[in-house]
Amino acid sequence: MLEILIKTIKTGCQTTKYPDVPEAAPEGFRGMPQLLSDKCTFCGECVRVCPPGVITITEKNNEKTLALSYCGCIFCARCEEVCQSDAVKLTQEYELASLTKEDLVTIIRRKL
Amino acid sequence: MNAIVESITKEYNNHILEVSTSQNETYLTVKKEIIMKMCDHLYHHLDIPLVCIFATDERKEEGSFKIHYVFSVDREDAFIILRIDIDGKNPRYPSITNKVAAANWYEREIQDMFGLIPVGHPDPRRLMNFEDWPAGVHPLRKDFDIKTKPPRIKGEYAYRRVEGEGVYEIPVGPVHAGVIEPGHFRFSVAGEPIINLEIRHFYTHKGVEKLFENISLDKAVFLAERISGDNSVAHAVAFCQAMEKIAGMDIPPRAKHIRTILLELERIYNHIGDIAGIATDVAFSFGAAHANKLKEDVLQLNERITGSRLLRGMNTIGGVRRDIGSKKDEILVSLSVIQRDFRKLMGLLFSTPSLMDRIETTGRIYNDIAKGLHVVGPVGRASGIDRDTRRDHPYAAYREFNFKVPVSKAGDVHARTIIRGDEVCESIALIEQALWSLPEGEIRIKADDIPDGNALGYCEAPRGETIYWIRTCGNKIERCKVRDPSFCNWLSIEYAVLDNIVPDFPIINKSLSLSYSGNDM
Repeated sequence: MLEILIKTIKTGCQTTKYPDVPEAAPEGFRGMPQLLSDKCTFCGECVRVCPPGVITITEKNNEKTLALSYCGCIFCARCEEVCQSDAVKLTQEYELASLTKEDLVTIIRRKL
Repeated sequence: MNAIVESITKEYNNHILEVSTSQNETYLTVKKEIIMKMCDHLYHHLDIPLVCIFATDERKEEGSFKIHYVFSVDREDAFIILRIDIDGKNPRYPSITNKVAAANWYEREIQDMFGLIPVGHPDPRRLMNFEDWPAGVHPLRKDFDIKTKPPRIKGEYAYRRVEGEGVYEIPVGPVHAGVIEPGHFRFSVAGEPIINLEIRHFYTHKGVEKLFENISLDKAVFLAERISGDNSVAHAVAFCQAMEKIAGMDIPPRAKHIRTILLELERIYNHIGDIAGIATDVAFSFGAAHANKLKEDVLQLNERITGSRLLRGMNTIGGVRRDIGSKKDEILVSLSVIQRDFRKLMGLLFSTPSLMDRIETTGRIYNDIAKGLHVVGPVGRASGIDRDTRRDHPYAAYREFNFKVPVSKAGDVHARTIIRGDEVCESIALIEQALWSLPEGEIRIKADDIPDGNALGYCEAPRGETIYWIRTCGNKIERCKVRDPSFCNWLSIEYAVLDNIVPDFPIINKSLSLSYSGNDM
């Protein structure tokens, strides 16, 4: 019993003040993917390799649209791996909870 | 190996139609009439465990279904696979369950998924297709399209009943308290002691094996990773190794070492989590809190070195995707702190009478039951089954390292806790060895095209032996059989709880560490 008490006091408080005090994810963390519209060539390679198929490319009225939904994203970083022009980057952002599905989609467009 | 095959071929010469060997797998095509006798001979006479049974639909190529019985020759790092042909027009074959109890669920699975009927099976009820699934629809047949939505029909499932004066039934589940997956447990009790338990699972059957046949190879590894959430690395490694074996690929030594480190990290956090669960279930919150803290330390270490708490996205066909060599010092320092704390905690746990009182002699699985059901992993080792895929069929870099495989004969919750504790320490020692001898060089080789072929991939997951059998054709997966350790271990709970009191069921369940997800594929 005494041993347990000593260990408890020695260990002290282990919980952190998150979310009041934000906690940054470590370097190399696989978080929210970001699309960079200035670098993207709309080649569609990320669309082809995405395992859950959450990246889509559409063409309408002479405009190409690339959309990525975080709803089904598994953060595997395959898109980042195959992108020749470094237009997809996985960020350290992990707070993705949202009230609407629309918030969970990132879209970039390019006029042809 | 040759000696065993020779002795079988000599004994069953007239019944063996074909013998072929590829790497450490020997395939024997035999007549289906003799299969029960041969399996019995291998299993009981030669003491070779039956590790998997699966079917393939080869009606298009060969005009028949095939059933494969995989036996693992542990002493010689080899596998014997017996194969029988079954005519599609008369899909019946002799059941071996009466002789080899371990075949029970496999044969019922094949009955549901392929419509091949095991004649003489002692319990021919449906297993995976529930009673609202129409008769004659078998999802793993090649002519079943993945998009098919069969109509629901009416039906009823018959449970085994124990009747008598003062016998009560307690149905538990499929929806449980807490965030766990669905499964039904039906206890029959006379007073407090349990006199019978029947489990029913597969409520969330996802059709993973069918999914594998419909996705491209580069995506398949991510599917494998998600079959059983906390055994991600083991499933991914087993999958990749099967693919690499088909392609005859030898991955770089650095990748092998990294895989070993990842597998052991996974084992550590799983085992510590299980110990925390056992402490929780006996209401020893001090132990639970400290063990959970240690588990979290390992998860955060995982995140720092791989970017994923559950070590996902690291494996790929041909090697690993990220190098962790630069984090060597960080891993070593973190693990030494974890090891020190873990040893102290285990000492404290085992010197607490209120905990020991609950776990000693509780949930005993006797060796003969464990052997008969082919119980695998730490649960099997706690019941005296000295098997470990890492030692018996070395893969990744395990051949190069020294490690002990802890075995106990007691078979109770206490023994399973000790085995897990010892395995954590062994795993830490393995990671240290792997990091000190980490070779320089590439971490992956290109693997774009996989030739046609088939092979076994195997791995010792934290829960036990995980087996993949994959056949590829035209750069696609033709058939992928996944055998998760929980598929073998679930039935052992029906025996473990006998004569125990109902309040001990959660501890027994936790000590077996069974996965719903890995089972309900």
